[in-house]
Amino acid sequence: MPENKRVVVGVHYLSRLALCLLPLAYCLLPFAYCLLLLLGCSRTDAKFQQYYVQGEQLYIKHCSNCHQKSGKGLGLLYPPLGPSDYMEKNFNDVLCQMKYGRKGFLSVNGQDFNQPMPGVRSLTELEIAEVATYVYNTWGHDRGMVEVAEVKQALDKCSP
Amino acid sequence: MKLFWGRQRSLSCLPIAIGMFTAYCLLLSACRSKEEKLPIFGERTANGTDTVFHTIAPFRFVDQDSAIITNESFGGKIYVADFFFTTCRTICPIMKTQLVRVYEETRDMPDVMILSHTIDPEYDTVALLHDFARRLGVESKKWHFVTGLRDSIYKIAQTSYFATAMKDQTEPDGFIHSGAFLLIDKARRIRGKYDGTKEEDVNRLMGDINTLRKEYGE
Repeated sequence: MPENKRVVVGVHYLSRLALCLLPLAYCLLPFAYCLLLLLGCSRTDAKFQQYYVQGEQLYIKHCSNCHQKSGKGLGLLYPPLGPSDYMEKNFNDVLCQMKYGRKGFLSVNGQDFNQPMPGVRSLTELEIAEVATYVYNTWGHDRGMVEVAEVKQALDKCSP
Repeated sequence: MKLFWGRQRSLSCLPIAIGMFTAYCLLLSACRSKEEKLPIFGERTANGTDTVFHTIAPFRFVDQDSAIITNESFGGKIYVADFFFTTCRTICPIMKTQLVRVYEETRDMPDVMILSHTIDPEYDTVALLHDFARRLGVESKKWHFVTGLRDSIYKIAQTSYFATAMKDQTEPDGFIHSGAFLLIDKARRIRGKYDGTKEEDVNRLMGDINTLRKEYGE
């Protein structure tokens, strides 16, 4: 066999090998993509969990006296948090009320409430995001993570 | 023959077993009847051979329906008393949540009532208490929310019910008061004191209500 012929055969084999590997690589691509996504997810998931757990503690400390641990409220005195059409429709207001409180009539699920709610001025933006992450992902709500930036934006509009 | 023997032996054991069981039952019931008396709170004095117990002093308040409420309103009833105010955000909401439990539990007991005194009568008017009771979803014939002269409310809290109630500007809501529930019997004596902010203590109260009712054959 002449020398150059052998080289050609070698190249031929190499190209065939590459051709075989190509579909394999393409097959692996979605897997790699999924893996990356999963890693990303678990990172946001951990953050969500952290907010949620912290939020629950803060909720028990500052909110559950009236709204109850079950989020059901008490009679027509303290409105329920879940289900609550008010919460779904007034996200920014809810964030503000945690800090600054609220007075006057409030309609929740078609019923009027009129007990003034004291705000908790000491809550930081992070803490409000944590409480919001908790209340907006419990009792039937599934808004997902509430970011500090969202809280900041809402508070900027309502700070007295 | 062996079988016959065995049966006879077991038969001879029967009276002993029955006797022991009866004795055990008697012992158990004796112990129980001893337990089933609630203590009587407060100082007691002797009047000749009679013991005079601490009782709730006569009172006269107005409830959420503008009705006059006195000791006579609770004649022949046992009742649970507490002190609160409607704008309180610390322990009162928990106390009211717990009292609603007591209310629901004793709903079918006409001999059990609830008496909530406001310690902020300037703000908690009859109209406000009426609204408060309505929103809580409770009936005024079983649960009286009363207001009156501030001094007489504070005085009865401290001297009759041994509960703390006073104005204090250093407190977040301007008042200090105890979260106690008091169980009062038909002779106006205190038979139990409970922490109205603790679910387990309120469970104890509900058990004691039944014990006290049994004393009266209810």
